[in-house]
Amino acid sequence: MTTLALPKRPGEILWFGLLGAGMLAGAVAVAMVLVKGHAHVYNVTREIPWGILISTYVFFVVSSTGLCLVSSLGDVWGFEKFEIIGRRGHLLAILTLVTGFGTMAMELNHPIRMGIYAIISPNFTSAIWWMGALYGLYLVLLICEFTFLMLGNRRLAFISGLLGFFAAITAHSNLGAVFGLLEARHYWYGSFMPIYFILSALVSGGALTALIVYFNHKARGRELSPKYAEFMLTMGKLQALFLGILMFFVVWKIIPGLYGQPPEKYEATMALINGPLAVNFWFFEVLIGMLIPFLILVNPKTRTVFGVMFAGMMTTIGIFFMRYDLVIAGQLVPMREDSARGAHGLLSYFPSLAEIAIVIGAIAVCLFLYTLAEKIFDLEGGHRH
Amino acid sequence: MKNKRFAIVLDTRRCIDCKACTVACKAENNVPLGRDNHRNWVTEEPLRGSYPNLGQSFTPGQCMQCGNTPCERVCPTRATGVNQDGIVTVEEKKCIGCKYCMTACPYNARYYNEEIEAVDKCTFCAHRVYSGRLPACVETCPTKVRVFGDLNDPQSEVSKLLAKNPHRVLKPEMGTKPYLFYLI
Ligand code: SF4
Ligand code: SF4
Repeated sequence: MTTLALPKRPGEILWFGLLGAGMLAGAVAVAMVLVKGHAHVYNVTREIPWGILISTYVFFVVSSTGLCLVSSLGDVWGFEKFEIIGRRGHLLAILTLVTGFGTMAMELNHPIRMGIYAIISPNFTSAIWWMGALYGLYLVLLICEFTFLMLGNRRLAFISGLLGFFAAITAHSNLGAVFGLLEARHYWYGSFMPIYFILSALVSGGALTALIVYFNHKARGRELSPKYAEFMLTMGKLQALFLGILMFFVVWKIIPGLYGQPPEKYEATMALINGPLAVNFWFFEVLIGMLIPFLILVNPKTRTVFGVMFAGMMTTIGIFFMRYDLVIAGQLVPMREDSARGAHGLLSYFPSLAEIAIVIGAIAVCLFLYTLAEKIFDLEGGHRH
Repeated sequence: MKNKRFAIVLDTRRCIDCKACTVACKAENNVPLGRDNHRNWVTEEPLRGSYPNLGQSFTPGQCMQCGNTPCERVCPTRATGVNQDGIVTVEEKKCIGCKYCMTACPYNARYYNEEIEAVDKCTFCAHRVYSGRLPACVETCPTKVRVFGDLNDPQSEVSKLLAKNPHRVLKPEMGTKPYLFYLI
């Protein structure tokens, strides 16, 4: 087995063509934002100030955390089967985090000011301040760990990996707290968010890990070696467990939102169950994101290499919607009686074309960087004992 | 000199929903046009009774200059602050436009002002108040719904009104301790 560049394949040209088109769409939208300003190209409003760019940011950093946690199982926690994905997992964790930051920068009005005033005028009671600080630290540790993995320095990789693992948990639970600490938003408020963010990160990480293992072989027209095939099956079992726990969490997010009809929390929960977000919730989150993948993964007959990949793909799509629904549902209940309401007495938001284009662009950039990195780095080496 | 604690006391029974306050505020504070852009507003409560005996009340609102400020707490760069007299402020050049304060405010009192490139909201017209004038909305109101003053001064009109009349604040359950008081 070798990682030397393989001859160009028609599939590869198509792949780069698709990514190029996605990045172009994103670039056009970014240019529009820079020329016309947020207010003219985004659909976020005074009442719903956080839209799809924030949820996409959350999606990316959840992916990053998840990849880091799952990849650490090998290098940090000594599960040998997981060592083969250490380099790839950490690399993609870096790229998803950076892409996430990029998406967030498009929603912020002053990313540069942020750098300056977060340092000279920090507010330690702000979860967003901590988010910046902790994710910054996490990024540094990820880069260290990836470098040590590439250099084959197991000891330093272990130390930075251990620190990175805790940074990932701290940073990511704090991201949950960005929502969970808002007393005004009953749907988000409470300690559920930080815990739920960690758990859903594991699901994201597991799904993406299965995808990168599968496609790295498929795209190069290589057979999966027995070691990788075995890894996929183990990942599949683990992922079934993660999904099972996630479903348990989702049920316990819903029940308190309905029981006793707690004001505002109830309306937001109903938005998912029977309101404007119902299709997203039932079809994408529940069916595509959790139920079908879970059924594929618990059944030994369908828990094949392909099955694990397929479940991972569905879960990834489901999780994207899960983030969107979470961010939007929390803002649907008006804070003032006279706000412009749509059906169900709730506010409404639908992303603009430019917002969607930026999301597509961000996904394309991330995949493009990853594809390039696969060509540049030897992500296979170091683990072939 | 002792600090002041500015407040507004409103007698909503006098409100006729003319929205002069909103217009005056827009003009005074260069609030850009557009549905999202306003520092104060008048909420039209649902109709009461049945035809022909109908009634309706109106509740003017704006930033409540809370005593316990979620918006200040969440602002990552301390762009949002509170001055010595209890006025909640936004320092334009520090605002990064994360809109966290907008999600944190239970009154939806804030909006993003594209012209100044920062989050904006009612400041009790601090620029007028500190030169001895009244906030624009207070000065304009044709039926004198609003009374502005210093609650730390027991002789001020606001202190007297609150001492004499029962009153309420909006969303007391949020624990934000608003300084807009509504007479009942
Ligand atoms: S009303 Fe809103 S913006 Fe004004 S002080 Fe209170 S929380 Fe802050
Ligand atoms: S939008 Fe501006 S004022 Fe509001 S929290 Fe962010 S930095 Fe602070």
